[in-house]
Amino acid sequence: MLNGTLTQASAEMVSSVQHGLAIVQAKRWGGGAGILWSEDGLVLTNNHVLGRRSPQVTLFDDRSFKAEVIATDPEVDLALLRIDADALPAIAIADSTELRVGEMAFAIGHPWGQRGYVTGGIISHLSSAQTRGRRGVVPIIRTDAALAPGNSGGPLVNASGEVIGINTMIVGGDQGVAIPSAVAVDFVSNVMGQEYSPAPSEESMEQEPLI
Amino acid sequence: MADNTLAKLSASMADAVEKAGAATVLVNARKRMPATGIAYDAEHILTADHVVQRDEDIKVILADGTELSATVAGRDPGSDLALLKLEKAEATPAETIEGKGRIGQIAIALGRPTSEGVQASFGIVSAQGGPVRTRRGGLLEGHIRTDAIPYPGFSGGPLIDADGKVIGINTSGLGMGNSLAIPADVAWRVAANLKEHGSVKRGFLGVRSQLVEVPADAQKALGREQDSGLLVVGVEDGSPAAEGGLMVSDIIVGLAGEMVDDHDSLMAGLSGEVVGKPTELNVLRGGKPENVTVTVVERKEPKRRHGRRRRAMWRGRRHHGGIDFSHRGSHGPHSAFRFHGKGKRGRHGKAHFWVEHLDDEDTDE
Repeated sequence: MLNGTLTQASAEMVSSVQHGLAIVQAKRWGGGAGILWSEDGLVLTNNHVLGRRSPQVTLFDDRSFKAEVIATDPEVDLALLRIDADALPAIAIADSTELRVGEMAFAIGHPWGQRGYVTGGIISHLSSAQTRGRRGVVPIIRTDAALAPGNSGGPLVNASGEVIGINTMIVGGDQGVAIPSAVAVDFVSNVMGQEYSPAPSEESMEQEPLI
Repeated sequence: MADNTLAKLSASMADAVEKAGAATVLVNARKRMPATGIAYDAEHILTADHVVQRDEDIKVILADGTELSATVAGRDPGSDLALLKLEKAEATPAETIEGKGRIGQIAIALGRPTSEGVQASFGIVSAQGGPVRTRRGGLLEGHIRTDAIPYPGFSGGPLIDADGKVIGINTSGLGMGNSLAIPADVAWRVAANLKEHGSVKRGFLGVRSQLVEVPADAQKALGREQDSGLLVVGVEDGSPAAEGGLMVSDIIVGLAGEMVDDHDSLMAGLSGEVVGKPTELNVLRGGKPENVTVTVVERKEPKRRHGRRRRAMWRGRRHHGGIDFSHRGSHGPHSAFRFHGKGKRGRHGKAHFWVEHLDDEDTDE
């Protein structure tokens, strides 16, 4: 028996990710999720979460900010926002090109308005989708973790609590589609320049040579 | 968090998918969506019978992308299994679990309906059951139910455990509106029969029977505890039962040394080796045990019914955000609707899809 270590590990992982989760509201009804992308106020979400109003971003600690839309990319359904805050608990980003089918995946968001709701599953399929823009084809992650309206823009994380994708849509009622973190990293660095590389994951910090 | 138990479990699940995925192949033997198969040995692919809709021009794509043509080595519609023979023995055989699966154990359903790599869904073994009668007229010695989602095209693919060993073969073609898995031991036994004989023999006795209690004194006379047996209420003329001298009012309590205490145990006993051979039938006649020798003949499989289709046009959005998404998914695991095909893009970014209303006799996975 594992004596509860597995339960403890998953509970710790989830609570660490929940702090990096935001609520993004930009329409009269409903709202999506957002990912605290950098400590100094960048928030990543889905483009379709945005509406006519300027987006309101609510953090896990209930602080609420009017956000500025820095860039949107409808082709991959991503949007980058900035809020006037610092020392934010940004979520670590994993390299989605290293993903394998069968790995665990957890979706965190606000499905049907339930705040910080977690659903679990695995990476079901690593495939690609046609787009109408210049990219032509983008890689997508499919997962069997249950998604619902309100998960949009929220993180799909791996077993270590690192973002592997941005939950974007539901196919056939029972399959979730996420935009891989590599596409998001690419989008953010195109917009912001290279200085906004993703927050280093704990794993990569451990691999730093000790001086 | 590098040595977190959850991350270790996650990695071992990906390992399991990789290992079993090597034996999971694409089977293209029907119109529309291809399905999945699993390598029984280097030369044979086990798949679901209902996804093999043609006997010629069958293509199998292995995990490494090698495309091979295949022929049908045998079919068993009763258990919805078919065995394909590859033109070259290049497949990586799958490994099966020892014995039965356990309720609650991790179960991952695998499929390879596209050439974009293996697909998986996660769940547990939800239930295991004894014999079930399938709507195709057969009897399955056991079945497994899982909550892993059977995505379109997963039929014929494996349900694996956390070590990548096959627990069962997934199929949605056995009716009952649900998808279930055929236990690996049952499936592999069927496959061995198909490889050798090209079919699985199911016996025919020619009796109508009714489940009755076996009285205590008759149990004493039998020398074993057996609460129930099958009362013969009709014997078909010229059938093995009539020729063996079985009479109305006999109570069948055993076949070939095995206890018969319900219809399913008689059906199970009548398949396989007993067909065509003189077999001892254990009956109670006037409360006393007697043996009747019958020669069980082969049962003729009922004809396959193809479902009627009603077609309707459905207009739906194909675009979401900027992604042009060609639906090939189902409306849900238990829906009677199936979308398929890439529609032509119309005005306003809308696409046309054919929606088929399928009889559950002809589920499309």
